[in-house]
Amino acid sequence: MTFAWRRPLTFTVPKSADQRNEDSFQWSSKGVLALSDGASISFDSATWSRILVRQFARCPEINKEWLSVAIREFSAIHDRENLPWAKQASFDRGSFASMLGVRCFGSRMQIVAIGDSLAVLGEGDRVQSTFPYTRSSEFDKSPQLLCTNPVENAFLDDLNGSDELYADWTMSCLDSPWLMCMTDALGQWLLASLEQGLSPVGALREIKTPRAFTHFVEEERASGRMKRDDTTLMISR
Amino acid sequence: MPYQAEISRDTPTCFLFIIDQSGSMDEKNEAGRTKAQFVSDVLNKTLYTLVTNCSKAEGIRNYFDIGILAYGGSDVKTGFGGKISSGIIHSIGAINDNPLRIEDRTKKVDDGAGGIIEQKTKFPIWFDPTSSGGTPMRAALTRAMEVIAGWCDSHRTSYPPTLLHVTDGQSTDGTPEDVANGLRQISTDDGPLLLFNLHVTAGSGHEVVFPTSESGLNDEYSRMLFRMSSALPGHLAKFAGDKGYAITDGSRGFIFNGDPKCIVDFFEIGTRPKMIAAR
Repeated sequence: MTFAWRRPLTFTVPKSADQRNEDSFQWSSKGVLALSDGASISFDSATWSRILVRQFARCPEINKEWLSVAIREFSAIHDRENLPWAKQASFDRGSFASMLGVRCFGSRMQIVAIGDSLAVLGEGDRVQSTFPYTRSSEFDKSPQLLCTNPVENAFLDDLNGSDELYADWTMSCLDSPWLMCMTDALGQWLLASLEQGLSPVGALREIKTPRAFTHFVEEERASGRMKRDDTTLMISR
Repeated sequence: MPYQAEISRDTPTCFLFIIDQSGSMDEKNEAGRTKAQFVSDVLNKTLYTLVTNCSKAEGIRNYFDIGILAYGGSDVKTGFGGKISSGIIHSIGAINDNPLRIEDRTKKVDDGAGGIIEQKTKFPIWFDPTSSGGTPMRAALTRAMEVIAGWCDSHRTSYPPTLLHVTDGQSTDGTPEDVANGLRQISTDDGPLLLFNLHVTAGSGHEVVFPTSESGLNDEYSRMLFRMSSALPGHLAKFAGDKGYAITDGSRGFIFNGDPKCIVDFFEIGTRPKMIAAR
């Protein structure tokens, strides 16, 4: 079946009320969707994640030049030479963020994933595919992230031409497919729930308002089932 | 399970560096630098990294409290100077605000287009090397116990403190082992504090890194420092293993006669909080 591309429902909850939410998301009417999770322990990951998703929505083809353009945009925002020493050191070390991008072509979609944000394809309450992870334990390792310091992106050279970053999904055998993109706390919760034989998708599909999403996340955090982190969900049906 | 507490501004953790400044720390290595100079370089770099880890565009996040206890001659005193010379433990924000001086340095960096460029950078100094007199290690650990017990009382839910002790000599004010044993009993609700020891001896004996037993150590003093050391918790054991060290269950946070890279790694591994490991 061809995926009927519509504006996705998007919900996000910060790690705590007094902290800046470092997740960013963007979509375009051309069937492009982008989600990025800025790493807390870095200089300005909120700005970096915002730059990444905007650029992916404009130009959904990640390569060296794409990344250089994003880094230049980030560098132009901060006056490195006049930063106090600690901010300058933190700026130099780099800001880190995941990048999950989706492009829809009729009954196909291509996913690119760098880091630990998760794409999930399904129908009804059933999960068909997940990418880049399929097991909840994979979220416990330290992910490779896109960085404003080019040295930290050397891993992309090693992956050049590899399929590791990409997945191609077809929806031709699904009657009414949906796509969800989520940052790591929710992704780990979803895969852990599936591993326990639970059916977590229904709860997510029922969410229609930001308030309902906040309530859901706060309940799962309080129960200890979900890690306390910025948490974002995009649902496209 | 111990060592699981989230490190946050509400629940910071603490690093206490205990540094031997006795006279023998002025022995020079092959590069012509004294042990005291080398240790102070590594300590300043460690503080720089800790502050940098907490530095965001909007300001410093107080994830860590930091102290330095320096001992030598008959003194045990703070290793910080200037406005933070009173008291032992300070927030990372106060450390950021109060280096002794800031030096201008240059470093070579990737220009992002396949080339290398020189870049000016600012490097703060908090701790200067000195070395004289005896080695009042027992007094230093006793002082550490007083300071850390107070910190743990007021931070019950925090990840417990990590103490990094650097010494090159034999205690001159009595055996410190019973004090260290008492020190390691101090805990928060997240587990007992971690005491790691670095023995920077110029004496004989091959390098021993993160051992599981004292059998490979030549002298009684090194064996005692081994016994004084905590086992590496899982996330630090993994980080040390990722750096190429042979880590097995029960590896202790102890290094004997390590080369300069080992000493740098000792500080890096010891101050690697779980939040950074997980990024």
